[in-house]
Amino acid sequence: MSASDRSAAVEVLWRQRPRSRLLRGVLLALGAWTALAWASPELDLAGFLSERRASNLATFLQTELVPFSLRGTDWGPRELASWVLGAWRRVGADSTFATLQIAVVAMALAALAAAPLALGLARNFARREPFARSQGAVADGSLGWRATRGAARVSAILLRAVPEYILAFLLLAVLGPRTAWPAVLALALHNAGILARLGGEVVENLDPAPLRALSSTGSRRPGLVIFGVGPLTLTRGLLLFFYRFETCVREATVLGMLGVVSLGYWIQDARAKQYYDEVLVLVLFGAALVLAADLTSAVARYSIRRRS
Amino acid sequence: MTEVATAARRPYLLAGKRAWVLGLLVAAVLCASALRLSPAQLIPSGSGFALLREFAWAALTPALDYEAPVPEGTAPLALKVLDSLRSTLVFAAAGLSLAVAIGLPLGALASTAWWSRAADDSLPRGGVRKLSVPVLFLALRTWIAGMRSIHELLWAVLLLAALGLTPFSAVCAIAIPYAGTLAKVFSELLDEAPRDGADALRDAGASRLQAFLFGIVPRAVPDLASYVFYRLECAVRSSAVLGFFGFPTVGYHLQLAFDNQHYHEVWTYLWALIAVAFLFEALSSSLRKRVVLR
Repeated sequence: MSASDRSAAVEVLWRQRPRSRLLRGVLLALGAWTALAWASPELDLAGFLSERRASNLATFLQTELVPFSLRGTDWGPRELASWVLGAWRRVGADSTFATLQIAVVAMALAALAAAPLALGLARNFARREPFARSQGAVADGSLGWRATRGAARVSAILLRAVPEYILAFLLLAVLGPRTAWPAVLALALHNAGILARLGGEVVENLDPAPLRALSSTGSRRPGLVIFGVGPLTLTRGLLLFFYRFETCVREATVLGMLGVVSLGYWIQDARAKQYYDEVLVLVLFGAALVLAADLTSAVARYSIRRRS
Repeated sequence: MTEVATAARRPYLLAGKRAWVLGLLVAAVLCASALRLSPAQLIPSGSGFALLREFAWAALTPALDYEAPVPEGTAPLALKVLDSLRSTLVFAAAGLSLAVAIGLPLGALASTAWWSRAADDSLPRGGVRKLSVPVLFLALRTWIAGMRSIHELLWAVLLLAALGLTPFSAVCAIAIPYAGTLAKVFSELLDEAPRDGADALRDAGASRLQAFLFGIVPRAVPDLASYVFYRLECAVRSSAVLGFFGFPTVGYHLQLAFDNQHYHEVWTYLWALIAVAFLFEALSSSLRKRVVLR
């Protein structure tokens, strides 16, 4: 094969590469939008680099972040450590644990709510004969099942389309700030939407053979769920749970800023008083909690994966 | 073998994954009691209930025009909503693109494809290398974890205090944690990508960098692209919420309308946000069908 033959063959291969007009259009639109965004006067990039900004930043880093009781004194790591420990005892410990508790309850509720939704939106389950060999439009064409699937899909999207923070903001007005419910419910609803969608995909990707065997021995829908779908999706379900758990802890931290008792509440409190040393240390407590949750999730996911 | 034997001896509910499920349920009940949550508290009080009813009605009848008289010359509500959506998308796009620019190189550096001892000849050998490689690797991973362990709203709090209310604070608040997440996911995708192509390239005499760029990276691109698209959807939500801190995105107008008790207007903004989510959902699912699953 001569060099020119080879380059001709490469040329042919290049022309036959997979192409999608939709993908190109979307990429082009995204690129154009990003360029427009950076160029838009709204970001005010020129105004950002002002002298005042720089002096602001210098004051913030050199004075405001230094613990108040240590300012102007000759402090070292030991004084700093005892100040951090003091902050932990005063507000850190309680609110960090409250944050974790909010996340755990919210995720458990989300998982419980997501399970029926996931079944409802799975194309192979929510139809006249679950997991039966596809017979085109006949098997799943009935209006009732199509409506069920559509309703489940739409509610999953609706639940996750509204950010947790806005949900909590609205729920707080309805339920009042006396309990942690606004934060718990907001996190649970949003994550239920996400888990339902991902869980629906897990159900749709199940191998139908064992489930068909189960239904051929006379199992109806509840039996199929308890003895078939449930055990078969448990591993993936747990993996999804821990995947979201980490994010949920992160969100639980900030929801407090609206007035529910979690770390965010005290961050907002310190912010209102302009105690930025305290803001920073509380943010770092939150970061430590998220890292711990991250590590727990990683360990759990590893152990669940290894055992299955 | 022994593991199977012990697993069989354990009580039914404590074996294997059932133990996780049971443990999580117990933990949830314990946490709920520690927070003193009871279902009875979910029933709103008198004023809360009235608000809920008003709110539910507003959901079905979002405002098409301002609920209260506005000064002469104010743009119509629809234009204002569209403008807030535009701002939301501007902040989201700027934040995410900055995150991609920071996160991708970080993720590439943090992938084990780079740091594993095997076939590694670009770094110095001997004692220095033995010590420096794990330390550098750990430092890089910790740095990335630190970026993403602080929520974007908390970054916003810190940046607002440090820099003042400038739009670039919002962009950075989105970019920093998103860069951390992207770096983590990208490095995992690179770690999971098959190595055969890169090995073949190495055998054919390609340098380490060439093998990485042309053997490993292309295998991770489809998954990465679909993840970036998903994060764009998240960035839109984050950007909307940043409005609560005074940036001109959807959250700002929503809070304002809520404080003025213009609940129908609140729902106009909410529905607009939901419409964007639906659009992204439709786009990403049709893209996945055509591109990733091929």
